[in-house]
Amino acid sequence: MKETKNIVLAEDNTTLSQLLKFRLQKEGYNAFIAQDGKQAISLIEQHKPNLILTDIMMPFISGLEVISHVRNKLKSEIPIIVFSAAGQEEMVLKAFNLGATDFMSKPFSPNELIIRIKRILM
Amino acid sequence: METFKILQNYFQQLPIELKFVWILSFILTVFAIIFTVYLKILRISLRKKEALTIKYQKEYEDLLLSFLFEEIENNELSNKQNQFIKKIENEINNNFKREIIVETLLKLKNEVSGEIETAIQDIYLKSNLKEHAYKQLKSKKWDKVANGIKEFTKFKVKEAYPEIKKLIKYPKKEVRKEVELYLVSLFHFEGLEFLNDLKISLSEWDQIELLEELQKLDNQEIPDITVWLNSKNDSVVSFSLKLAKIYNKYETVETLLKLLDHKNQKIRLQVIDVLTHLQVLDAKDILKNSFKKRSQEEKIAIFKMFENICELSDEDFIVENTTNSNFEIQYLAIKMLKEINEKAFNYLLKSQNKFKNKELLKFVQNN
Repeated sequence: MKETKNIVLAEDNTTLSQLLKFRLQKEGYNAFIAQDGKQAISLIEQHKPNLILTDIMMPFISGLEVISHVRNKLKSEIPIIVFSAAGQEEMVLKAFNLGATDFMSKPFSPNELIIRIKRILM
Repeated sequence: METFKILQNYFQQLPIELKFVWILSFILTVFAIIFTVYLKILRISLRKKEALTIKYQKEYEDLLLSFLFEEIENNELSNKQNQFIKKIENEINNNFKREIIVETLLKLKNEVSGEIETAIQDIYLKSNLKEHAYKQLKSKKWDKVANGIKEFTKFKVKEAYPEIKKLIKYPKKEVRKEVELYLVSLFHFEGLEFLNDLKISLSEWDQIELLEELQKLDNQEIPDITVWLNSKNDSVVSFSLKLAKIYNKYETVETLLKLLDHKNQKIRLQVIDVLTHLQVLDAKDILKNSFKKRSQEEKIAIFKMFENICELSDEDFIVENTTNSNFEIQYLAIKMLKEINEKAFNYLLKSQNKFKNKELLKFVQNN
């Protein structure tokens, strides 16, 4: 039997996170939603996901800190896709330097995101 | 009753100053109690409103998501989707609910693109939300008018153009700014046509916002800006000079050279800056010939321009200014002379007794 893959999604926009959660579930993934970086870190440690999707700007702990925690503290190579808004190019570069796998600039197409996820988790 | 009489007698026997203090304390105590009760009621009502907002947000969010998922499955609107549209139509007469609905739609629309963005756009257009925004444009309250325009900008409602264009001369600058952003966001460079006959000043902040909006556009082909460069409105001229610099408008050089004699010094300085950026060599002779009659700030700007484009043919002009009374001009002149003709600079060093500021010569020689 094929194992269901876990994805942690850290996004403070509840409408977007719900939309993505439904899309991910429809594609057969287990989606765990975090509304801030702090929740994201605890979900990552708890569920050991196959992929992390994180927004850069979030309350309490930013997306950059989440990447840093995963790469430096957990020493994990889980693929990470970051979401950035227009004008956050420097942040994206920092995210890549910290070890992000890919990025998507907002506004983005959820269909495109699903394609990227499928490619990464192939 | 006894106690009250005792207090009354006590109060009557008191000196006038103490009576005054007692009365004042009483009034202040009453005010403090009223104020505390008011704050308590206000807090309760704000919390209720907040809780209600969260409740409705959640409700509309769920409805919106179920609408979007049905949309993905079929192209025709399903019963469920029609019910959602009807629900919106029924609820938008309540301003509070209407604001939450619009906010919920925008919250997602700002983050996604593609078919989901189109679906949200459809919800806005198919429900009566658009009609309410039109009503806001006719409101007597400026903030409602501004909100109506902002909504049309966010939902890209081009058909509201005739109504919105009428508001370009609105007395409140916040409304004018929203109109300008609407025009530029939806009609791109063509939307800048409002500059043709703009009489009201365009603030520096408005200009920055417009430029930011323009830089988001995929098509960066800017139309002819000569009309705006020749505008009688100085803020329009200043804005078009920024456009000339950002979009490297070499074809405007002729107009720019004429603007060197503009009545406003700020514009003249901005023109010199744009000419410097475009490295217009034709400007050099005009500036050299009119150098003496120009203000100190302009003279410094001219020398900064020459710093990048000076040639051997400018030597006389530069030598003449090596003794300029302004330190910055003198420094730039000596520095440029060293760059274009080292022999002339060495000659200057030999005859340094003529100079008051010998240290400056030494500094340029060693750097």
